[in-house]
Amino acid sequence: MAKFSDYNIGYVVKDQFEGVTRELLRAYAKASGDTNPIHTNDAVAERAGLKGVIAHGLFSTGLITKLFEDHLEHEKSGKLIEINIEMRGMVRCGDLIITEATVSKIDGKRVFFDVEQRTITKVDIKDKNGNLIKQFEAGERDYVSEKDIERGLVKTKDVPEGILTYRERIATPGTAIIELFE
Amino acid sequence: MKKNAEFLIKNVKGAEIPGSAKVNVRYKTLVNFAKVYGITDPKYVGSEEDGIVACHAFANHFTIKAVYKLLLSFNLVQDGKTRGIMLDPGKLLHTGNVYNWESGADVKPGDKLNVSGSCEDVWLNEKNMILFYKFLVNVINQNEEPVCDVVITAGVRKGGY
Repeated sequence: MAKFSDYNIGYVVKDQFEGVTRELLRAYAKASGDTNPIHTNDAVAERAGLKGVIAHGLFSTGLITKLFEDHLEHEKSGKLIEINIEMRGMVRCGDLIITEATVSKIDGKRVFFDVEQRTITKVDIKDKNGNLIKQFEAGERDYVSEKDIERGLVKTKDVPEGILTYRERIATPGTAIIELFE
Repeated sequence: MKKNAEFLIKNVKGAEIPGSAKVNVRYKTLVNFAKVYGITDPKYVGSEEDGIVACHAFANHFTIKAVYKLLLSFNLVQDGKTRGIMLDPGKLLHTGNVYNWESGADVKPGDKLNVSGSCEDVWLNEKNMILFYKFLVNVINQNEEPVCDVVITAGVRKGGY
C-alpha cells in the first residue's frame, strides 16, 4: 500500500501499454462517444492527411489516470486529485505507450508529479546489409517524417532479428497531484 | 481568416457557453468504458447489485459530450449571418486537458450529470494561424454536487473558423 514515507523527490511510478489496435479504438469510440471517423476509418483519416487512423487524444489520458488508480490501489491508500496534460504527438496502432510519473514536490499529504507519456513507434527491421526483414505499420504507411529524423527522434537498436528502426517521442507531457490518506 | 479570428476573440472570450449537456450514466456504459483499459477491479466493473463507480478515465466521456454538444451548437451572428464558433469540426485539435476531482462526488450508475461551461480565453497563433480556445467546463450530478472541473484547450486549424 502506498504510504507517505515511500515518497521522495524523484520517486517514479511507471507503466506501459502495447495494445493500441483498430479493434480497441473502435471499442473506445463506442464507450466514449467520440465517434470521429479519423480514429476508426483509415480512408477518412487518409483524406484528412493523417496517413491512417490515430488514437483518440483522451484515450492516452485514461492510461495516466489508470496508472494512478493502480498505484493507489483503487483509492485504498489515497486519491487522484488532478491531472493536467498537453496532447502533442499522435498515437498510432502498434505504438508502445510508456507512462512515467516522477515526484516533483511533496506538500503535506499531497504528492505532485511530472508526467511524461512517450510513444515508441516501430518502423522496420533490416539486416546488417540493409535488406528489409520486417516492416511495421509505421513503415508501410510512412508515419515517420523528415522532421522526426531532423529532430533526432528516429533511432536504431539491435534486436535478435536484425536492426530495429523506431521513433521515440514525448506524446503527452503534464503534471498530476495525488493525496494520500496516511 | 484573420477577420473571423478577431470577431471570435472579441465575442467569445469570457462568454458563457449557451445551454448544457445532459449525461445519463448507465451501468453498462461504465463497465464497457473501464474494460477498454483492461480494468478488472470490482470497484469499477463489479456487479450491478454490489454497486460500482466510474473509473477516473470516464471523465473523457462527459468531456467529449461537452465538446460535441456544447461547442458545436455555440452560434453567433457575424455580418448578419449566423455562424458557429467552429465552421468545420474536422479542423478541431484537442490540445490539452485538465481534470480536477478535488471534492468531486463519485459517478455511479443512474446518475444524471449536467455539463456546462464558459470560454475563458481565445487567441490566434499567427505563425500557423491556429485559433485556440480555452474552455472551463463544470460537471455536477443530479444532487448539484460537483463531480469534476475540466479545462479543455482546443485549436482550430485555418479554414475551420
